[in-house]
Amino acid sequence: MRRNIIIPIFLLLAAGTLQAQNVTDLIISEVLAEPDSTGILDDYGRRGGWIELYNTSQGTVNFGGCFLTDDRDNLRKSLIPKGDLRTKIGPRQTALFYASGNGLDGTFYAGVTLAPGSTVYLVSNDGRTIIDSLTVPPTLPQGKSVGKLAHDLRGQVFEVEPEPMVPSPGIANGDQNAATKAQVMAEKDPHGWTLTIVSVSVVFAALAILWGFFVLLFRLLANGEGAARKPRKKAAAGAVPPEVAAAIALALDMEDSGEVYAAIAAAVDLYLTDTVHDAEPFVITLRPSDSPWNEKSQMFRQLPK
Amino acid sequence: MEQIFQSLTQFWEYTGFANCAWQNIVMIAIGIVFITLAIVKEWEPMLLVPIGFGMIVGNIPMFPGLNIGVYEDGSVLNTLYQGVKQGWYPPLIFLGIGAMTDFSALISQPRLILIGAAAQMGIFGAYLLALTFGFAPNEAGAIGIIGGADGPTAIFLSSKLAPDLMGAIAVSAYSYMALVPVIQKPVMLLLTTDKERRIRMPAPRQVSQREKIIFPVVGFLITAFIVPSGLPLLGMLFFGNLLKESGVTRRLAETARGPLIDVVTTLIGLTVGASTQADKFISIKSLGIFTLGLLSFIIATASGVLFVKVMNLFIKNPARKINPLIGNAGVSAVPDSARVSETVGREIDPGNHLLMHAMGPNVAGVIGSAVAAGILLSFLG
Repeated sequence: MRRNIIIPIFLLLAAGTLQAQNVTDLIISEVLAEPDSTGILDDYGRRGGWIELYNTSQGTVNFGGCFLTDDRDNLRKSLIPKGDLRTKIGPRQTALFYASGNGLDGTFYAGVTLAPGSTVYLVSNDGRTIIDSLTVPPTLPQGKSVGKLAHDLRGQVFEVEPEPMVPSPGIANGDQNAATKAQVMAEKDPHGWTLTIVSVSVVFAALAILWGFFVLLFRLLANGEGAARKPRKKAAAGAVPPEVAAAIALALDMEDSGEVYAAIAAAVDLYLTDTVHDAEPFVITLRPSDSPWNEKSQMFRQLPK
Repeated sequence: MEQIFQSLTQFWEYTGFANCAWQNIVMIAIGIVFITLAIVKEWEPMLLVPIGFGMIVGNIPMFPGLNIGVYEDGSVLNTLYQGVKQGWYPPLIFLGIGAMTDFSALISQPRLILIGAAAQMGIFGAYLLALTFGFAPNEAGAIGIIGGADGPTAIFLSSKLAPDLMGAIAVSAYSYMALVPVIQKPVMLLLTTDKERRIRMPAPRQVSQREKIIFPVVGFLITAFIVPSGLPLLGMLFFGNLLKESGVTRRLAETARGPLIDVVTTLIGLTVGASTQADKFISIKSLGIFTLGLLSFIIATASGVLFVKVMNLFIKNPARKINPLIGNAGVSAVPDSARVSETVGREIDPGNHLLMHAMGPNVAGVIGSAVAAGILLSFLG
């Protein structure tokens, strides 16, 4: 009964941690409210504001069914269509929405209009949970965008850039031509000595910790077992335990052979020195045996006589 | 008549004879040598037969565009090759290795774990040499892992760091693993004295089932927390071992160490062999990889043996001295390198059995090479 309760509780707790690769990994990475003459044109040839979403996770996220809005009191203002296969963002990729003011213009058109000072919200498909928001500063110059960038090593903590950005619609913010780790290593550690020393140290450290742990564990287990066996050892040092003595006496009464003495002595020695263990193989072998029940002649259908 | 002749000419263009280049012949010959070595000499037959035949399969000259080659999207071979390319065959093999490995030898003598760490110097020695030879750091890391003497780890890391070199690295790793007795013995004899080879080690203590169950859990937690990038390999290795030791998942453990590892080994061998298409395989780089692979094995063996000698300097009790002949087993070619320790040890003292002692550093080498792969991946991936 207890197990029936514990397992669902654990599953619920585990489910609570399953946040990865869902819409909560999305952020509004960049917004342009007022384009200048160099701004991009939408499919209708119009030049207007746009909203860029970015997937911060390492998995593909489907944002169909989510909402975009510029009204805190109307979170379901512009629905992103559910049935479009294009409403998926790959890991660390972007999706661009034109803020045309009419969501019916197409899948990637939002029924919101942008102006300096307005705030854009990305709302989860439950229509209640705000996943992310981005406010366009009232003083943002025309032709400049506001966006978020991650400056931490893991590239996970996105913060609004204080300075207006040069618009980069559909392109992940930041340096897209950053050097790979191998290129960085080639520059900083051309002969490889640093990596070698660090790596060898880490390998040794990892295995040394394992070594230390098992030395400690063995001592703990040995102490525990030693404590448990104390009475038996005391018996070995002094008298033979009563049940063993009784067995020996019984055997001696029945037999008078040297072999029996030797066998008993060996058994007692093995028992007292704990050399014998009774580890079970956990294997049960069932051997077929003949009986009238499995006799073939008994299983044939009896023909009517 | 003319039409028949044209059809035959067209058919000829599609045959292997018309598309054959000398490189194909060379690779097919190497494949046949692999199969011969596996069957006649019984050197790693489980690996060399699939790899050798895969080499033949991958080097049948063909007209491009028929969607049958290993590098042609959607072909059968290409689909099977995804397990190598995406790196999910190696962790499955590690699951099987975990389910068949008995870590008792290691648990009973934890100090031998350090030998498994020392032998990983082969990886980093080869890394340094590869950089000197002009390889890029990511390529050098992928080549270096050959020194771990662990085929699945080599495939896993090279698929991440240098996919273009993966065929050569995998073939090199498996070839040298098959040649472990040939490579290691001279190094061991060169670095040890007659007296050292005669050292007899005390019998390892008996390990309780409780310790065996604790080992995979704690081993995984410690290593994975230190090197999370080694998670696919370490996780599967220790998980497989837990299946084996827990005593309650015998069927799962038997599947992991039986049918599962057999299927994956067959597929990984065949597809790695097939990936050695002559046009992508025969190059100066491949030659460099084979040279560095050999050096990495020698460095790894020497490091393990020398490390034991250093350890002995600090062991005061003569009865607890370690025979340096088990140092070679720090590479993770399980159980081949441990078998080399046993053979070389018995040559000088027939009554000195080192196999069980050598299994300690041997299985530690499996853990060590997975940790080293994780480190290289985090620095260069």
